[in-house]
Amino acid sequence: MLKMQDISKIYRTDLIETYALRAFSLEVSAGEFVAVTGPSGSGKTTFLNVAGLLEDFEAGSYELDGTNVRALSDDARSRLRNQRIGFIFQSFNLIPDLNVEDNVDVPLRYRGLAAGDRRERIASALELVGLASRARHMPAQLSGGQQQRVAIARAIAGDPAFLLADEPTGNLDSLMARQVMDLLEQINEMGTTILLVTHDPELARRAQRNVHLIDGHVSDFSAYEPRAAASGGADAAGAALA
Amino acid sequence: MSVPVRPILSALLRNRTGAVLVAMQIAIALAVLVNALYIVVQRAEKMGRPTGIDVDNVMVIASAGFTERFQTVPSIQEDLAYLRALPGVVAASVTGSIPLSDGGSNNPLLTNPEAHAGENYNALEIDEQGLAALGVHLVAGRNFTHEEIQPPLTKLDASRFVPEIIVSRALAERLFPHQSPLGKRVYDPLRQSATIVGVVDPVMGCFPSSDHPDWVYFLPRYPYAFGGSLVYLVRTQPGQRAALMRVVEQHLAKSNPDRVIDWVRPLNYFRDLTYLGDRSMEIYLITVTALMIAVTCLGIFALATFNVSTRTKQIGTRRAVGARRRDIVQYFLVENGLVTGAGVIVGCALALATGYYLSLQYALPRLNLYFLVGGVLLLWATGQLAAWQPARRAAAVPPSVATRTV
Ligand SMILES: Nc1ncnc2c1ncn2[C@@H]1O[C@H](COP(=O)(O)OP(=O)(O)OP(=O)(O)O)[C@@H](O)[C@H]1O
Ligand SMILES: [Mg+2]
Repeated sequence: MLKMQDISKIYRTDLIETYALRAFSLEVSAGEFVAVTGPSGSGKTTFLNVAGLLEDFEAGSYELDGTNVRALSDDARSRLRNQRIGFIFQSFNLIPDLNVEDNVDVPLRYRGLAAGDRRERIASALELVGLASRARHMPAQLSGGQQQRVAIARAIAGDPAFLLADEPTGNLDSLMARQVMDLLEQINEMGTTILLVTHDPELARRAQRNVHLIDGHVSDFSAYEPRAAASGGADAAGAALA
Repeated sequence: MSVPVRPILSALLRNRTGAVLVAMQIAIALAVLVNALYIVVQRAEKMGRPTGIDVDNVMVIASAGFTERFQTVPSIQEDLAYLRALPGVVAASVTGSIPLSDGGSNNPLLTNPEAHAGENYNALEIDEQGLAALGVHLVAGRNFTHEEIQPPLTKLDASRFVPEIIVSRALAERLFPHQSPLGKRVYDPLRQSATIVGVVDPVMGCFPSSDHPDWVYFLPRYPYAFGGSLVYLVRTQPGQRAALMRVVEQHLAKSNPDRVIDWVRPLNYFRDLTYLGDRSMEIYLITVTALMIAVTCLGIFALATFNVSTRTKQIGTRRAVGARRRDIVQYFLVENGLVTGAGVIVGCALALATGYYLSLQYALPRLNLYFLVGGVLLLWATGQLAAWQPARRAAAVPPSVATRTV
């Protein structure tokens, strides 16, 4: 489903070249919940950005759902991000001037969905994250954990096949972090593939598989133990949300 | 994809201070633009009215007799004989006042000798070459003959009229609506009559700034030389005026020791002097309006730039969740369009109110609505253009900004 082979990603500044990813290879199958760990600067965010088509890479090949993403135009990458990928950010990245439902609506509008369809998706996504009653609140009126749940609702409202999360609990206390983690597990159980970057070994243990990065490449895979519930694909998630 | 106006508007309303200021600026700019341009166009129309006169090839000569020996009629005859014989001169005439100069005389004319009083119309004394010296054309009837030219009025005989006159078509229409004016009689206040022998058109008289500068009639008479002053109109072949002006000035200065030549000037000089106020007003209004629009563009540009630079993370996030570059451009253009739109709507009201006030205050015609529509479109387009570059910069924000900034 996601297949990276010998990817290298170089950041060039006037003075130095940084190999953020070096001969990076990874395969992730549909429905997996993969935690990515590693020391600061090891390339976790870079990996997520490449995986999520937010950044280009210099060498290697990357197939997403069997599509070679290198050949894609900027618009095509936007469309793929919009329809197949959901992002969850460390600092939530809600749009401060839009209320909760308008925030969730943002990717749906870019997808060009009809108003009725969008309304239903917003309602069920907010239902899932337990914030249906806060639809008209502004982000500033919510706690950090609630904001992150709105961001999760935004990420899943479009039924993505992949959910990419970069330290989604990094700005939350442990209780809220656990809630968010519960939510991610629940979403994964509905069939969405999740790539989770985290520093927290406890959270990482809850994933099915751990990938440890050092210096821009994978140093270690933990054992892969498929969970009983993780069987379906994106369609299952879609069915559950609809 | 439908344009997401509502969320853009609600986001805009949460940060409205800058937007309101820029919208107000746009409103004021529209009111100024529309009214200023309207005034400019009116002035341009005023200055562009046909004069019928070959302004570019006519020179005006002012001669002043200053000795006891100076004699008006012989002097006129001698000067005209010289001028008319000059190669390159088309025609020359002596005249009572300078056309297009906003100076001259208005005298009453009546169509009915029983009438109580006549209205004043611009009267211009010329000789048989007067029409040719101006370059105006007869459209009916005939020119004055040499024999018809009357001697100047004198102190003893100050109210003598003339037997024949030539009128402008506009004056003919005024005096005898829908009738042929040829052969019709008109009267001076002493009920002395003259017959209309010719009609010229188009022609502007001595008062371009009056309401009806084309209500003018010509008298076949040498002018009365107040204090020995005489004015000649000389029309040259195209392109020869400047050279002939020097020749003429030198010759006339010497030819008669009993007078001096005060000046020799192109007729354009007097027309331009008459329109100096209009011309200055035009330049002033255009400059102020252009500056105003430039400042407004800067305001729009600054607001858009500010909005982009304070929202880079939001832009990156939008890109990350699926916005294409053109969606980002569209976002900022729609946002700017809303601000400009609000400004333009308020501006319309402001422009109409200003126009109404000006029309009352300065007796101007009421604002033409085409100007309002044109001004709205112009400001709208300029506003979008000013926001274009910031919008492009927004679209260049990479999606990775979403994960790379805190
Ligand atoms: N825009 C950039 N320009 C130059 N170097 C960069 C850029 N972004 C990342 N890097 C470098 O690439 C390497 C990997 O960075 P990355 O952000 O992927 O690390 P990370 O594992 O996410 O670290 P952290 O845990 O601190 O978030 C680092 O050495 C970083 O300095
Ligand atoms: Mg990182």
